[in-house]
Amino acid sequence: MSLTERWLSGKRVALFLLLMPLLLYLFFLILLPHLEILNISLRERVSYGVYEFSLGNYQAFFTEPLYWRTFLRTAVMSVLTTAITLVVAFPIAWYIAKVAQGKSRSVLFLACLIPFWVSELVRTYGWMILLRETGVISSLLQTLGLVDGPVEMLYNDVTVMVGLVYTSMLFMVVPLVSTLDGLDDSLVEAAYDLGGNGWHALKEVVIPYAMPGIVSGCIVVFMLTLGNYLTPTLLGGKDSLWFTEQIFTQFITRFNWEQGSAFGILLLVLSSLMVWLGLKLSRQSFTEAMGR
Amino acid sequence: MTSAIDLSCLSLHKSFRDFQAVQNVSFEIPRGSFFSILGPSGCGKTTLLRMLAGFLEPSSGEMKIKGRSMLGIPPNKRPVNMVFQHLALFPMMSVAENIAYGLKRRREKPDFIKRKVEDALERVGLPGIGDRDVSQLSGGQKQRIAIARCLVLEPDVLLLDEPLGALDLKLREHMKVELKKLQQAFGTTFIYITHDQSEAMVMSDQVAVMNKGRFEQVGSPQELYYHPKTPFVAGFVGENNRFSGKVSNVSVHIVQVKTDCGQTLYAQQREEQPLAEGMDVELFVRPEMIHLSRERVFADENDMTGRVENVLFDGGNSRLLVRVDGTGSEIQVVHPQTSEFTNIHAGDQLHLSWKAEQSHVFASNRKEATV
Repeated sequence: MSLTERWLSGKRVALFLLLMPLLLYLFFLILLPHLEILNISLRERVSYGVYEFSLGNYQAFFTEPLYWRTFLRTAVMSVLTTAITLVVAFPIAWYIAKVAQGKSRSVLFLACLIPFWVSELVRTYGWMILLRETGVISSLLQTLGLVDGPVEMLYNDVTVMVGLVYTSMLFMVVPLVSTLDGLDDSLVEAAYDLGGNGWHALKEVVIPYAMPGIVSGCIVVFMLTLGNYLTPTLLGGKDSLWFTEQIFTQFITRFNWEQGSAFGILLLVLSSLMVWLGLKLSRQSFTEAMGR
Repeated sequence: MTSAIDLSCLSLHKSFRDFQAVQNVSFEIPRGSFFSILGPSGCGKTTLLRMLAGFLEPSSGEMKIKGRSMLGIPPNKRPVNMVFQHLALFPMMSVAENIAYGLKRRREKPDFIKRKVEDALERVGLPGIGDRDVSQLSGGQKQRIAIARCLVLEPDVLLLDEPLGALDLKLREHMKVELKKLQQAFGTTFIYITHDQSEAMVMSDQVAVMNKGRFEQVGSPQELYYHPKTPFVAGFVGENNRFSGKVSNVSVHIVQVKTDCGQTLYAQQREEQPLAEGMDVELFVRPEMIHLSRERVFADENDMTGRVENVLFDGGNSRLLVRVDGTGSEIQVVHPQTSEFTNIHAGDQLHLSWKAEQSHVFASNRKEATV
């Protein structure tokens, strides 16, 4: 073995050792439980302690309308949340990356981060104090004489959506700011100079340039929203019908681990499928988008 | 070349709060000429260019392109295109899409666009690279694509914002010639801003030397070089030895100057602002205009002996630093690479001489920053 070869193999061992914690983490805490969940989802209890292979749990999902309707509803609302978050976050990210200078820039960034100083649970309960029938906003409206009776602002889709968008903001703003930061202002000027208007500059130059940031932000926000439990449950109440709630019910209330596992796998398939579709539509590669 | 005027500016002014970036700039550019604006960084040349492009509105003054006022017209509606300092080619588009961008904005037909793009690539000498990514191009190719992207729109005026700055020396030399040829081939009026006097001199028909927001002098490269009108131009365009002193005697055409180091030098009297005895003046003489000899020849008005202090070897641009006997003043002289002078060493004695009309003398403006 030559010296360089030995050095290279030594380097490889060092790399392997450094990656070890991550590999162990991925294997034992992510891959193994999921394989087990997949395994559980594919069996049926025939008698006490006796299981056999079955697709019944997946069949139940497709035959029971409540299940697949909740599933679709969750998917659609998550896509909608992602879209709204993008539309709201883009101007903010543009302002932080291109307009704000020096100190105001970091202050704005911090403002996006501040909501995360409070735990999501406490924050959501705070929202409930504001929005419920006897809450701050309702009483204020009554005091001002704008409404006759108490107003219930909790437990509807709009509130759930607002809550989800709010929770997701930071995860959209950060990747957008980091891509827009790299956009040379003269590209936008060139787009104007060559005869384009603001819309052209945005459509032909800014958005294609920011695409990796947009895609990575959307993937993160979509996954977080799809798997969110607290916000839809607390703000949406009993009617929110979020798919994670169904999973929770199966595992905890009904103690039907087999059904719950099947739902879990279905959710994983859904999010993977949506991400794949998003990448295909935007012609981005996953590594490129997440590398930002 | 016709004598029609493509662009005219009348007392343009631009101030940012209390800072005067551009002051009272007026000029006219004939159709199809190559006009350069030369100045040190921070002189306001970029501000001027951005006003012409429409990214900035002048605080006051008028500017017209082919007789039409451009005030209040946004950049996308002006018959002017710009080659940006870092070119600003769109990285997410292919070369052909970059060139087609402006034509698409004009809603031209697809086959017309295709033909125009191919034609433009042909004319900048890069046929058949339309499908390539911008990142696959070399520096010089990017340069030409950026120019093609503008020229395909047939603008009345093309603005160039120091586009050669990022290139290495050899390529820059090559692109200077290339740009001049492109300009002649297309016949478009070019306005080129630069801080590099050699770029401006080689390419331009007319050069405006700009300093502190004002035009110091507008003229052909030869005029600027041989007949600078202000001390700034004399110092900025080409190399110069500079002496401060006082006028000690004035005859009909010749001014005698006693320098601060005690030398007596002669220069031609200025016609427009004649100098009088006792005035503070600055005298300039170019290193390449000084005659070197081993033996003393009494032919020119300015005549002195000195010792070589240093040889600054740079091939064809070599210089000698000569300390003049009895005064302590130091003069830079071009070191000719002829057989007579190749073996010059520090400490050798030399005679320097030049004619009075080869030095320029200006009433000194002591406040003026020296270059």
